[in-house]
Amino acid sequence: MAFDPTILGIACNWCTYTGADLAGTTRIQYPHNVRVARVMCSSRINPAFIFRAFELGADGVLVGGCHPGDCHYSTGNLYARRRLAVTKKILDFAGIEPGRFKVTWISASEGHIFAETVKAFTEEVRSLGPQTKFAVTKGNDQ
Amino acid sequence: MKGIEKRLREEAKKLLETGSVSAVLAFRDGYDGDHPVPFAARDVSDADAIVFNEYCTHNLARYVTEYEPGTKIAIAAKGADSRALVVLIQEEKVKRDDLVILGIPCSGMKDARRGTVIDEATTGNTVNPVIHDIMLADQLPEPDTSPYSVLTDLESRGHDARWKFWRKELSRCIRCYACRNACPLCYCDPCFVDQTEPRWADKSPSLESNLMFHLTRFYHLAGRCVDCGDCSRACPMNIPLYLFHKKVAKECEEMFGQTAGMDPEETPVMVDFKVEDSDEILL
Repeated sequence: MAFDPTILGIACNWCTYTGADLAGTTRIQYPHNVRVARVMCSSRINPAFIFRAFELGADGVLVGGCHPGDCHYSTGNLYARRRLAVTKKILDFAGIEPGRFKVTWISASEGHIFAETVKAFTEEVRSLGPQTKFAVTKGNDQ
Repeated sequence: MKGIEKRLREEAKKLLETGSVSAVLAFRDGYDGDHPVPFAARDVSDADAIVFNEYCTHNLARYVTEYEPGTKIAIAAKGADSRALVVLIQEEKVKRDDLVILGIPCSGMKDARRGTVIDEATTGNTVNPVIHDIMLADQLPEPDTSPYSVLTDLESRGHDARWKFWRKELSRCIRCYACRNACPLCYCDPCFVDQTEPRWADKSPSLESNLMFHLTRFYHLAGRCVDCGDCSRACPMNIPLYLFHKKVAKECEEMFGQTAGMDPEETPVMVDFKVEDSDEILL
């Protein structure tokens, strides 16, 4: 059977989550691999969430927030941008392929962009195969 | 070194005699002269026990946060210690006015446990204190070597090879938290790893929980770590934690254009942002 990746999506309440909602109400088809968790702002995301997701067996993590400048709380996503950039470098240096972690800005009106992003990201993670590095109990390379 | 030791004792005596500080943070002999330990001189009679030699490598800034806010403390600060103090001042853990910084320029310090000379391979190699009230010796020339050249080998390897490296290193961790306890900037109480709700990482050592602890700790020190190398020297399992801290510090410098712990007026990069930060840092 073809590999079906498990992806954690973390979406901000005001833009990306609403955008995902719009994708649903306009009946745009996109892969079911992304499990979306809603947070009030992308700056709510503790990088430990992302490490933990990989540890618990996620094959990829997709984070969505408002476009810079459009944050509901004015500056939240500008802090998040710095934090998630450092998180990405840490994952990369530890040996997780950069393709498994993506941060993207999707507004509430961009339902089609949400669907396209999920499609492209799922295909990218699929091509990378199962994530068995951090998810040690799931992997068999010990 | 003997000259610095003599000046350190003199200054400690002066400060304690006048009562302008309640403690002088410095070193005294441990079980022998080659194994000095951190020491807080509280009385003039303590001052003669102060020593300073090439094995006095501990970052004394770690003890500053143990005192009640408002306590006046003098501290013998080497290059990296002074940078850690700058970060503590930036983060308002300690007030600049409560500190008397006795600056010690030094290079060629030695790791007491391994006997090796400490250089830019394992630390940031900051020779001169960046802030001081009293200098105990003349400034030394700053080395022109990059503290990040040691990363080239690991950076050039692929993701799988890097993972193999860190898996080997981090699976050895026995979770004694010596790295955290030696770190001048790991002052959180409670540390995230000691929290039970939410339980971020299991208490017992396993590769997964070790990864969770170390990666989160590397993140928590992003833009703050002053590369003193004390975590790696404290590690009983000889895990080269300094490599990861160097990498994160290097990336922060490249992305945000600011070196940690250089100027008390600056804001640490992770609690700050610029509107013109590029989205390219997320790629």
